[in-house]
Amino acid sequence: MSAAEQEVEMDTPGSFSREELGRRRAASRRLAWLLGAAALAIYLIGFIYYRP
Amino acid sequence: MSTAPSIEHDTGHGQHTEPYQGGVMRWLTTTNHKDIGTMYMTFALIMFFIGGAMILAVRAELFQPGLQLMQPEFFNQLIGVHALIMIFAALMPAATGFANWQIPLMIGAPDMALPRINNWGFWLLPPAATLLTLPFILALFGIGDGAVNTGWTLYAPLSVQGGMGVDFAIFSIHILGVSSILGSINIIVTIFNLRAPGMTMMKLPLFAWGWLITAFLLIATIPVLAGAVTMLLTDRHFGTSFFNAAGGGDPILFQHLFWFFGHPEVYILLLPIWGLIPHVLGTFSRKPIYGYKAQVYAFIAIGVLSVVVWAHHFFTAGLPVPALLYFMYSTMFISLPLAVLFFCWVATMWRGAMSFETPMLFAQGFIVLFGLAGLTGLVLADVAADAQYHHSYFVVAHFHYALFAGGIMGVMTGVYYWLPKWTGHMFSETLGKWHFWLTVISFNLTFMPQFFLGLAGMPRRIPDYALQFVEFNAISTVGSFILGFSQLIFAYNVWKCVKGGTKATDKVWEGAEGLEWNLSSPPPHHSWEVQPVIK
Repeated sequence: MSAAEQEVEMDTPGSFSREELGRRRAASRRLAWLLGAAALAIYLIGFIYYRP
Repeated sequence: MSTAPSIEHDTGHGQHTEPYQGGVMRWLTTTNHKDIGTMYMTFALIMFFIGGAMILAVRAELFQPGLQLMQPEFFNQLIGVHALIMIFAALMPAATGFANWQIPLMIGAPDMALPRINNWGFWLLPPAATLLTLPFILALFGIGDGAVNTGWTLYAPLSVQGGMGVDFAIFSIHILGVSSILGSINIIVTIFNLRAPGMTMMKLPLFAWGWLITAFLLIATIPVLAGAVTMLLTDRHFGTSFFNAAGGGDPILFQHLFWFFGHPEVYILLLPIWGLIPHVLGTFSRKPIYGYKAQVYAFIAIGVLSVVVWAHHFFTAGLPVPALLYFMYSTMFISLPLAVLFFCWVATMWRGAMSFETPMLFAQGFIVLFGLAGLTGLVLADVAADAQYHHSYFVVAHFHYALFAGGIMGVMTGVYYWLPKWTGHMFSETLGKWHFWLTVISFNLTFMPQFFLGLAGMPRRIPDYALQFVEFNAISTVGSFILGFSQLIFAYNVWKCVKGGTKATDKVWEGAEGLEWNLSSPPPHHSWEVQPVIK
């Protein structure tokens, strides 16, 4: 394990609040759409790009 | 279908009451990362045996010169589908299975961020694998002329002229690509958004780092492959001439597009393994991982370099000299960050209190044999030398040292390392050690002679050969059958472990470090319902 990981310990456990979890889920959805759009753009660009 | 009590929980897939289903419906509808990880791993194991059976038929044909068992056309089909299955339906799903099982456990997340997409990503795989293999069965009934016969590279113009099997492969690749992209998106957003409080990026386990780079590579390169095979489809059926020289197209363009995906694909297959190996080495050396940051930066460097070196796969196609020089030097440059990884792996073991349980044996076998893949890769990167080695058995031996010793043995390492955590039982060490030694010996018996066959000039993808190659081919075939059948020990050991055995402790291995070892073995249905906090 890395030195950084050695510092990983269980501390006082808790749970994400519903608001925090909702915020993280919304951020996940936004990023997922962005990555999906990037993949689609890479796929389509070859058909549009004209090589003289 | 049996039902169990409903479980109230608050996970990444929202607040809901999930009827805990049993039977087939559990597996069809599950959004649980562990169930989906299990399905990925099981699917990969089944396809590993199917792809392995295909290549054993090939090796049986190559046991002697001349044609004994099959016609060249069928031989070509077996080779192509073997490769496509092993890459897309065995190694990649196995790595995704690891990601599904381990990433939420290792980063303290309740589940993957997009669990329904996760389910869909898996269930795209069985129809895609069916499409790959269906033409074999259709041909038995006189429909079509068998499976794709172009090799996994689908090079034009052969693939433009090929039979129905090429179309099946094209559709299969599209579906497999969608599955990979969905999986990658899920892994990226999970790592970015669902890490436990306090787990900064530089505290992320190396396995998660390896997969993060892999996921970005997949999103950048799979669409290029999809574009190339879509163009191939339109060339075949809709009158376009992307790769048809007679219509103004360029067959070499296909090679560029294919290998723009194909070379990063090698790292896509290997980066998750490079991520898990340090965890195993650290555990069984009872030492912290050496050079955590150096390994993270090496992963990033390899990821970036992997997309700018693709043309070394077709040096002999007639590239301009400046391009040859660029691709030769850039390819060799990758050996630097790779050497950093090797040094860190060895340094992790250095002066450690090492013990040699099965996962550690596989990790060490991986280092030595994958090292040979790296060294022979350097030889192939040399433009002048490559003119002799290209399309020979030297290349076949090289990439099997990379993808079997580096990929499959890496997967075995991970399975043996985490299986007690997943099942709650210890596997049989005796069977594990038998599996390791038989695998290592028979692997070298199979592929080491192929280096010499290649150096002597035997071309790949040919069902017949000159008499001078007889002995090495016979040795290679004997080795391949031992290698193939020794994998049944692995399957039996896993099955036995799933069914029962000595109870595993939560920590499983004495030297294990990391969040996942704080959970029970097996982990609860919903991981980390109580969020860990990282200091």
